[in-house]
Amino acid sequence: MRKLILPVSILAVILALVVLAPVLPLADERAMDIPHRFAGPSMAHWLGQDEFGRDVLTRLIYGARASLSIAIGSALAAALIGTALGLLGGYFRGIVELFTVRAAEIILCLPPLLLALLVVTIFGAGFWPLILALTLLYTPNYARVVYAATLQVRALDFVTAQRALGTHPLKIVLRTMLPNVLPPLVVQISLVIASAIVIESGLSFLGLGVVPPTPSWGLMIRAARGAMEQAPLLLLWPSVALAGTILTFNLLCDRLQSVLDPRAVPAGGAIWLRRRRTTPIAPRIAPDQVERDHAPADLLSVAGLTISLDRPGGIGSGMELVRGVNLGLRTGETLALVGESGSGKTLTSLAVTGLLPDVLKITAGTAAYRRRDGELRDLIAEDEDGHRQLRGDEISMVFQDASAALNPVHRIGEQLTEVILAHRAIGRAAAKREAVALLGRVGIPDAERRARAYPHELSGGQRQRAMIAIAVANRPKLLLADEPTTALDPTIQAQILALIADLKRESPEMGVVFVTHNLAVVAEIADRVCVMYAGQVVEEGPVAKVFARPRHPYTVALIGSVPEGDAERLVAIPGAIPAPGHMPPGCSFAPRCDHAVAACRKAPPPEFWPEPDRRTRCLRFEEVT
Amino acid sequence: MLRYITYRSLVAVFLVWIVVTLVFLLLHLVPGDPAEVLLSQGSTAADPQAVANLRDRLGLNDPLWLQYAHHIGGILTGDLGTSFRDGAPVAGQIVQRLPRTLEVIVTAALIAVLLGVPAGTLAAIRAGGWIDNVISFLSSLALSTPVFVVGSVVILIFAQELRLVPAGGYVPFAVDPARHILLLLMPAGTVALALWAVVARMSRGSVLDVLERDYVRTARAKGLKRRRILKRHVVRNAMIPVLTVLGLEMGTLIGGTVLVEFVFNWPGLSGYLVSAVDARDYPEVVGIVMVISILFVLLNLVVDIVYAVLDPRISLTR
Repeated sequence: MRKLILPVSILAVILALVVLAPVLPLADERAMDIPHRFAGPSMAHWLGQDEFGRDVLTRLIYGARASLSIAIGSALAAALIGTALGLLGGYFRGIVELFTVRAAEIILCLPPLLLALLVVTIFGAGFWPLILALTLLYTPNYARVVYAATLQVRALDFVTAQRALGTHPLKIVLRTMLPNVLPPLVVQISLVIASAIVIESGLSFLGLGVVPPTPSWGLMIRAARGAMEQAPLLLLWPSVALAGTILTFNLLCDRLQSVLDPRAVPAGGAIWLRRRRTTPIAPRIAPDQVERDHAPADLLSVAGLTISLDRPGGIGSGMELVRGVNLGLRTGETLALVGESGSGKTLTSLAVTGLLPDVLKITAGTAAYRRRDGELRDLIAEDEDGHRQLRGDEISMVFQDASAALNPVHRIGEQLTEVILAHRAIGRAAAKREAVALLGRVGIPDAERRARAYPHELSGGQRQRAMIAIAVANRPKLLLADEPTTALDPTIQAQILALIADLKRESPEMGVVFVTHNLAVVAEIADRVCVMYAGQVVEEGPVAKVFARPRHPYTVALIGSVPEGDAERLVAIPGAIPAPGHMPPGCSFAPRCDHAVAACRKAPPPEFWPEPDRRTRCLRFEEVT
Repeated sequence: MLRYITYRSLVAVFLVWIVVTLVFLLLHLVPGDPAEVLLSQGSTAADPQAVANLRDRLGLNDPLWLQYAHHIGGILTGDLGTSFRDGAPVAGQIVQRLPRTLEVIVTAALIAVLLGVPAGTLAAIRAGGWIDNVISFLSSLALSTPVFVVGSVVILIFAQELRLVPAGGYVPFAVDPARHILLLLMPAGTVALALWAVVARMSRGSVLDVLERDYVRTARAKGLKRRRILKRHVVRNAMIPVLTVLGLEMGTLIGGTVLVEFVFNWPGLSGYLVSAVDARDYPEVVGIVMVISILFVLLNLVVDIVYAVLDPRISLTR
């Protein structure tokens, strides 16, 4: 509400001046003083005198009177009529809608100023024709806005209830609907007043609006143009008054909108586009330390990865969504990341590629990655340019929803060609040929023709195949697949999994991180599995061993929740993942765990290694079955 | 695609019919006798003989349906009647003046896009920063200052005080190209200012919206260069709604250049309209309003089709 103070107080001053004009100690707005025409500012005439020697300040204030009364008058008249039409049309729909809202919209077929001129042609210039023209002009705007709001309110439960109770429609419309459509109406009124002032002053400027000697800003500017040589200031005052008033109404409208609709919080742009580092640089780890700590994970080794919400001053800023995640990946290995939504599995994979949303920040951790040329790089410390060189080339991603992840306005072939050209020095024609071959390779029939199709012309399965083709175009060392089959139906799902397995056989070097919540998929595709819960890895090990003998109660529950046959979704485990920022002091799974003992609730359990290739975060891993 | 264009064209024809009918109704169903209204000046009553003559000339004694048929027939054959003032055919005047108005509008739109899109994109990339604030302030100011004020101030500064340019006027391109362009740039630049603000604001919002889309993340995941992502995947997509709004704004401008043409003494269609309204030259006003409205509808049709070409999804969803 504080945002409204500025525009409202300026408008209050303007309105007070306008209303109080007759009682203020002003000169007579029509009193001429020919000998002193074009006199500059003086004590008696603060803003000087015009071409007839009249007091400019007085005429400015009386001009506001004309402009504002016409603008506000017609804005309110149009609001009244338009609201009635919109409410009736929106409430009754059908034939009533045709004769109210749709009928009013016909006016929108005419350019606004033209309609006003047409009315002036018929009725002549003057105060009332202006009101009529502007009312006619703005009625459809209100009708539309109110109609849209009415449709929304109409569908709400309490309106349906009233209708069911047999309340008289007129009573519902006036008592229930009207108050609910008021917010958009108020915004619209301030918008229309500003716009009406523009048209009124424009018509007056043309000599087709307010009739002299009544003062009006448009007329004052018109007169001042003729006297530019003698008194350029005469042009300035009404111009400033006019632009200032319109600016204030526009400001009011903007502020009203942001107050009434707080959802429209301005976004922060995109940090990655700016030539700055996208992530704060964590201290680089010594390569030999990585070798020591994660010797078997020669391709990718993530250690202590922590991701927090970074919204300075915002709600929940500093909350940790991913907490100290360790995971390793060997060359040619497929690692599955499983867990419920919100477990941090997607964030972990995004962090590795530097694609985290701007509101998230990596606050700790390293991700050692061995490049093709053997160089060891910390992906967390990489800036946007460093990531850019790797992404799409050595490290690539397949996203969950291919229909959203492909650009709707570019052809499939083009979207594939550009990733090839971004990383390899080959000609456009060669890249195009390769793109077509790739589309064929991922199982898209008639690849030549399909390359010219737009994403919406392909089926869901084909879109995901195209997405995969983009990911493997440059033979990556590391492929991160984020729920690539979730949005597809089961038959297509199986085909996509088979395709990924196929591609892996072709490039045995490629390491795959497969993010999913589907355990059946894990069993089918992965060598090892990493179970995530509430931003932590709770258990990790070879798929066969983990499934045969889980070492964490959460894994047990996950396996138990898979129904016979192909499960598409996890059946709920009682309770819910604790919200970030509301983590229990001990083990984060303890509130939902049957095995939990007092010790579990006291302190977060460390990692245990029941076998050399397995780990778990459960104090009672021995007892879990 | 062809089906879509056909469909939109039919809608446009329907809208043109509505406009034509609307203008007819506005002039014939207003309370009172149009002839009397047209001839009366303020409180002085019209001369009965003149009213009768006018009724005869306007065909107001015919039954309404016949008048309507004449009205439609005239438009279909391109006959918009003759002027009250000088008896010249209205259609001829319009054909001569329309290109000059379109020239101003198209030039203004070009300037607005060339300056507005980069400004809006920059503001979006730096959202919340000082560049964003400056651009946002400038666009609010430009939107709040009516064109005739901008035009008058431009003349005051550049023509009156600095003596850099003439205060307006028109020279045919064939006679003196340099001067023609100089004279064109003043009204076009003035119109462009407000249009620039609209384009910049729309671009900013649209770019911010597109930046959140998954396909921009995909473009980044491909390792494309910033410039390419910005050009091919952000601005290219963000321009679709911006161009739509620009097209609609240009439509409004066809009738809205009245003030600019008046200020800069540019002999376009709108100036003709003002003098016709001033003289209450009925056939002229009706003719011009009709032509502008039809252009308005046609322009919206073109915008729709361009939109469908830019966004290949559209033609399927309708």
